Amino acid sequence: MNRPPRYFGMAVSAGSVPPGRLDGYAPLRDYAAIGEGRTVALVARDGSIDWLPFPYLDSASVFAAILDSERGGRFQLEPEGRYRVRRRYLPDTNVLETTFFAETGTARVIDAVTLPEGGLEPFTEVQRRVEGLFGRVAFRWSVEPRFGYASEATRFERRLGHPVATAGNDAVALLLFDAGGVEERGGGWSGRFEAGEASSTLLSLVFAHQEPLVFPARGELERRFERTCASWRMWARDRACGGRWREAVMRSALALKLLVFAPSGAIAAAATASLPEDMGGERNWDYRYSWIRDSAFTLDAFLRLGCPAEARAYFWWLMHATQLMAPRLRVLYRLDGGTRAPEEALTLSGYRGSRPVNVGNGAADQLQLDTYGELLQTAALYAERGNRIDRDIGRRLAGFASFVCGEWRQPDAGIWEVRSDPVHFTQSKMMCAIALERAAQLAEKGMIPAGALARWRAEAGAIRRFIDERCWSDVKQSYVRFAGGQELDASLLLAVLYGYDDAKNERLRATLNAVERELRTGPLVRRYTGEDGVAGSEGAFLACSFWLVEALARSHRHEEAAELMAQLVDLANDVGLYSEEIDPESGEFLGNLPQALSHLALISAAMALTERTQ
Amino acid sequence: MTVWGALAGGFVGTLVLTTALRAANELQLTRIDLPFLLGTAVTADRARAKAIGYLLHFLFGELFALTYYAIFLALDRDGWWLGAIFGFGHGLFAATALVNILLPLVHPRMGSPLTGARTVALLEPPGFLMRNYGRRTPLANIVAHIAYGTLVGGFTSLAG
Repeated sequence: MNRPPRYFGMAVSAGSVPPGRLDGYAPLRDYAAIGEGRTVALVARDGSIDWLPFPYLDSASVFAAILDSERGGRFQLEPEGRYRVRRRYLPDTNVLETTFFAETGTARVIDAVTLPEGGLEPFTEVQRRVEGLFGRVAFRWSVEPRFGYASEATRFERRLGHPVATAGNDAVALLLFDAGGVEERGGGWSGRFEAGEASSTLLSLVFAHQEPLVFPARGELERRFERTCASWRMWARDRACGGRWREAVMRSALALKLLVFAPSGAIAAAATASLPEDMGGERNWDYRYSWIRDSAFTLDAFLRLGCPAEARAYFWWLMHATQLMAPRLRVLYRLDGGTRAPEEALTLSGYRGSRPVNVGNGAADQLQLDTYGELLQTAALYAERGNRIDRDIGRRLAGFASFVCGEWRQPDAGIWEVRSDPVHFTQSKMMCAIALERAAQLAEKGMIPAGALARWRAEAGAIRRFIDERCWSDVKQSYVRFAGGQELDASLLLAVLYGYDDAKNERLRATLNAVERELRTGPLVRRYTGEDGVAGSEGAFLACSFWLVEALARSHRHEEAAELMAQLVDLANDVGLYSEEIDPESGEFLGNLPQALSHLALISAAMALTERTQ
Repeated sequence: MTVWGALAGGFVGTLVLTTALRAANELQLTRIDLPFLLGTAVTADRARAKAIGYLLHFLFGELFALTYYAIFLALDRDGWWLGAIFGFGHGLFAATALVNILLPLVHPRMGSPLTGARTVALLEPPGFLMRNYGRRTPLANIVAHIAYGTLVGGFTSLAG
């Protein structure tokens, strides 16, 4: 029991290894993310940018080879012939360095989406800088822009001597500096150049959305790149982050910063859509939305990392987004705060044949009662750290609590958004109790109206009785997934994390043991046992694995927690990123990436562990 | 026919013209952004450029309305239909000469066939009929200018 799976130890490619593709698809573990607060690009170990939505993270893609290696579009840049690769982010930045060791020499590629500064600059700018380090390395490159998930008619032409592709009100131009000539072919551009010692080549994509293209000169590109690196370092320097897990926490913080949608303050659950949870299967969802489920972890992480500006922006976005339909909550919101997220299947072939390729998310319309607990917990955290809750927001929070009083008896889809019939999920009920108790605490402090205080307390008591009487199994010696069932659910660990009860509580301790016993494989934890209304299976859920670390730490099992944390940190990819899930058998990443909840859970677990061991 | 009518028509017409082009932009018919083009002639700061650009656009809207008024006086006739014809001609002039040729010559940050792209940041030039900003740009531009001319002509005649 709890032995590391057989892939364990190979997960992090510490040395330089050659990249590989299967049917044109790189392993999901091979992707690093770069971005600037509005969109995120994914770069494979072989130097191909296989994913880039434009203009925003939740817009249609310009590059989507990760979802269709034939038609999706990409920006390839790699040495000719055989080579090996070593990667890292430049320290404390989201700027990626890929060093290629070819047979004839060594060169590095530095990839960045530069940070906007407000001047006359491109709407979005991707820079790929190639520097020769040793010997000579012949590079080949190709750019295949495919707007609108490869569905929009695109014109290829030239402006001021630069290759330009336009579609609708979007355009992209390719700027080359010391990169040789351009070969124009149907649907893209390509070329070759050689990187010699101390050579410096620059390939830059500049994008325009609803406006004319801006063509910066090389000097300006260089200056913006330097300022981008400096800005990231400055941001990282100001974070409160130390201890044994500092490196993993800082990378997670930087990954989260990529997922924060700067125009609104919302945080996207992941940067991608439809990467499969079940390879070749139909569990392919669009995660480029902001989930209420992640709100408490998000705010807590921001506050503990010393990001008050991000915390405030996120809380205000949350209150703004939930205003329109209050006191009902949606499961997820668009990054601009909108509520419409209709699910639609694209005609792309899917990552390694995983279809349908979905954009939009049908879970938006579900009833998930746990979200009310998340929201009130978030508000309580916000207030606890000395932030003010104004009268309007206070009234709305009280409205959410009163709504829970009338709704908690309903079955729902639960935190995992099952697509089977609604049931009485235990975790949902626990979060309803937390919602009412946090509301009561806020009311007692005079932060929200206290008119319904007695009702909140009475209903919270009724929920706790329901959980104790209907959601505990003597057979399993655990709280179970839903009332009357015998299945287990790792989300019940959140009862410890959110303070549903003291970690010493017998039933919570027994539930923790049951989750370890039945859902854990090596360092990894699956979400639940039983049906969820979708065909196929899935991997182990990384956030649940980190929740187990935190639950162990809060239960004073520090050594076990630290050992498990170390194993999980080793499972990140070569640049420290996590997807949503990992296949316990193969070690392959599954699901969308980089995944906010995985990184949020890592930060929370690391902080809990550090606090309790120092 | 009064100058105040023409000025009122110029204001409302520019409002409609700007809104129509913005709507065309949102409908993915074009990437044209006239306030942005005008404002970046004055400043490289994006936000300030848009604000200044809107002011300049309304100023030019009034100047063109006064020009329309002068022609109405010379012809001794006015009306919405005559304004619409002027608007058509105005739109054609804007797309072929004003924005396409004259603006790049005076705009310090816009490229023209005579400039290289390696020294300073350059804005994408609009091209003939401003088609560089999208193939449907000429249509959106003409429709918006006809609306402008119609309103200037209409207001001028109403004020009479």
